[in-house]
Amino acid sequence: MSSFRAFRAMAINEVRASVRNRTALIFTLGLAVLFMIIFGLLFGGSGVSVSFDAVNNDRTPEAAAYLKALTSVSGVSLHTKSHAAAFSDLKDDSVIAVLVIPKGFGAAVAGQGPSQQVGIYQAGGGSAETAISDELVANVTAGFAGRGNPAVTLSAPKVAEVNQVTEMDYILPSMIAYIILFSGVNYVAIGLVEKRVTHVLRRFRATPVSARTVLAAQVVGGALTVLLQILVLVAIGIWVFGAKNYGNWLLLIPPIVLGTASFVGIGFLITSISRTSESARALAAMVTFPLMFLSGLFFPISSLPTVVQTIARILPLAWASDALHQVMNDGAGFSAIGTDCLVMAAWAVVTIAVASWRFRWD
Amino acid sequence: MSVVPPGPARSEAPGMMRAEPMPARRGMRGEMADIDVQGLVKRYGDVAAVDGLSFSVEGGEVYEKPGPNGAGKTTTLEIIEGLRTPDAGSVHVLGTDVLAHPQTVKERIGVQLQATALPQFTKVREAVELFAALYRKARPVDEVIEEFNLGEKADAYTDKLSGGQMQRLSIALALVNDPDLVFLDEPTTGLDPQARLNIWTVIEGIRQRRKTVVLTTHYMEEAERLCDRVAVIDRGRIVALDTPPRLIAEHAPGTTIEFALVPGLDPEALRALPGVERVVADGRVSVTTRSPEAVLHALLDPHAPWNRAGDADRVAGVGAAGGAGGGGGGGAGGGAIRDLLVRNGTLEDVFLSLTGRSLRE
Repeated sequence: MSSFRAFRAMAINEVRASVRNRTALIFTLGLAVLFMIIFGLLFGGSGVSVSFDAVNNDRTPEAAAYLKALTSVSGVSLHTKSHAAAFSDLKDDSVIAVLVIPKGFGAAVAGQGPSQQVGIYQAGGGSAETAISDELVANVTAGFAGRGNPAVTLSAPKVAEVNQVTEMDYILPSMIAYIILFSGVNYVAIGLVEKRVTHVLRRFRATPVSARTVLAAQVVGGALTVLLQILVLVAIGIWVFGAKNYGNWLLLIPPIVLGTASFVGIGFLITSISRTSESARALAAMVTFPLMFLSGLFFPISSLPTVVQTIARILPLAWASDALHQVMNDGAGFSAIGTDCLVMAAWAVVTIAVASWRFRWD
Repeated sequence: MSVVPPGPARSEAPGMMRAEPMPARRGMRGEMADIDVQGLVKRYGDVAAVDGLSFSVEGGEVYEKPGPNGAGKTTTLEIIEGLRTPDAGSVHVLGTDVLAHPQTVKERIGVQLQATALPQFTKVREAVELFAALYRKARPVDEVIEEFNLGEKADAYTDKLSGGQMQRLSIALALVNDPDLVFLDEPTTGLDPQARLNIWTVIEGIRQRRKTVVLTTHYMEEAERLCDRVAVIDRGRIVALDTPPRLIAEHAPGTTIEFALVPGLDPEALRALPGVERVVADGRVSVTTRSPEAVLHALLDPHAPWNRAGDADRVAGVGAAGGAGGGGGGGAGGGAIRDLLVRNGTLEDVFLSLTGRSLRE
C-alpha cells in the first residue's frame, strides 16, 4: 500500500514534469500539429484530387448519368474526350486513368441488351493515387449496378472497401502513431537516462522505494503523457482540420496503450545500453526517424520496396499505424486489429522484461 | 533486537529498556550502536576503495569523516546507506543488517547525497511532497518547508534555487521521514561562507533533536565545530577516530609558530630549540613545539643574527648564529620576524600528521 502511494506520487510528478517540459512537447505534440497544418495547406482539406478522362462510346442518357455520378464525387475531376485525346492525356500524366464506356452501356443498364464492361486504363499503375481512383470508380459503378442492375461491371475492379478518406483523415491516425513513437521513446527512455546520469535515480534508491516502483511510475507517467497529447491532437484534428473517425473511439485504446507500451519498452532498451543522455538521444533518433518513414505514417507501406516492407513489418510502429488507420479510416472492428495488438503486446512484454532485468540505478 | 530510537521517543521509552543488558557492541549510553561496520572491503578492479574498515557510531552524536579525495569516504557512506554492495564485511544500521534488509534501514535513515539531484521541472513543495510519499511515515510537508526556511521558495522550481537554498532543500528531503540517523555527504562544499554558516546552524538544529548525524567534509573547521567524534579515513582505512580535542592532543600536540622566512635564519637550526618537534619551511617557516615560550623568546631575541639591523650585518651574521653578539645591536626594534602567528594544533594538523598529505590535494 505504501508502495502504491510512492508509485502514484512518482507517476503524478512524472506527468506534471512532462507537461511542463515545453521543449519536449514541441517536439511531439507541436510537430504532430505542424505536420497536420502542412498537410492541410498542401491539400486544402478537400481530400484527394484525381483527374479522369472518359471516352464515351455510348451516347445514351444512362451513360451521361453514370459520368455525372462519377463527377459528383468530391475531389474528382472528369472530362469527356475523344479516344486519342484521352490516351494522350494519360500518356503525359495529366490524368491518372481513362474510363471507356462501351457501346451498348445504356442498353445494358436499361436491361435491354447484353451486359457490358466499363474499361479502366491506367499508365504504369500501382501508385496510391490510382488505387484510390480505382476505388472511387468501383464504388460509383457498384452503386450504379446496385440499382438492380448486374448488367454493368468495371473491367478491372479492385476490391478494397475504403471510405472516402481525405488526407486529413489519413494523417490524424498517423500523427497519433507519431506521438506514441516519439513520446514513448523520448519521454520515458531519455527521461530515465537523464534521471540516471543526474543521480536522481540514486537519490530515489536512498529511499525505501523499489526499482519496480520507479520503473512502473516512469512507464505509467509516460503513457499518461502520451494519452494527454493524443486527446489534444485528436481535438485539434477534428475541430480545426475537420478530420473524421469512421470507427469506434474505444477501439483506439488497445493500439494506443499497447503501442505506447512497446515504444516505452524499446526506449528502455535504449536506456539500458546508453551511458549518457547524449548517446541515448542519438540512439533514440536513429530508431525513431527511420521508423517514422518506414511505418506507413506518411505513405502506405505497400509503396515501399519489399525488403524495406519486411523490416517495417517487424517493427511495432507499422502495426500501431495499421491498427489506428484501420479503425479510424476503415471503421474496422476488433477482429481486424487483433493481430496488430498481439504483435505490439509481444514487443511490449519482451522489451519491458529485458529492460527490468537490465535496470541500473547508476 | 529492539533499539531505543535516539529521537524524542527516547524520553518516552521505559527506563528498563536502557537498563537491560545489551549485546557486546554497546554505546556509552547503553544502546546498540547506530552504525556498526566490520571488516568492510570494496574494490574497483585492483584498487581497494575501502580496505577492511571497522568502526561504530553511537546514538545522538555528530560524526564526521574527513579524508582526502578518493580516500573512500563516499564509498563507505554509500555502502552504509544501502546504495552499494561491499565485497566483504558486515554493516548494521540501527541494529538492522543493511545488506539483508536494505528497505527496513532506508525507512529509518535520511540521506543527502554529494551531488544534489532532483527530478526536472519540480517545485520545492512538490519535491518535499514526492519524497514524503516514498516513506511509510513522514513529517507534514509544510512543517519541513518552514523548518528549513524554504517557505518563500515553496513554489519555485528547484533548478532556480541558489546553492545554499538547494542544499537546505536537499537536507530537508533527507529529514522528511523523521529519520533516526542522517547522512550528509559534503553538505557545505561549494557554498559561500554565509550559506555555509546557515547550513551549520541547520546541522546544529538536527543535532539538538538528538539525531545521529554522519557527515563528510573537506573543511576541518566544520568538523571541529560540529562533531562529537571525527574519523580520519585514508586509503580506505580509518587512521584515527576520536573527539577533536583528543585527536589534537594525540596527533597534533604542541603549539605551532609560523612566520615569514627571514634572510640569515637557517630553519634547520631551529630544531635545536627547546621542545621543537617539527620544522617546515616553504617560504613560511612553521615550528611546532611543546615549549612555545622558549622558542618565541629565541626567535625574537634582539641579539639573534636575523634581528640585527642592517642588511650587510645580517648576511654577515649568518655564520655567527648563536654567537655572543653583544649588547647594543638591533636598534630597529622588534627585529626582522614578520607575520608572526602562534596557534594551537588543529584537525588540519592532525590530518597532515596522519596522512602526510594535504586534505585538498
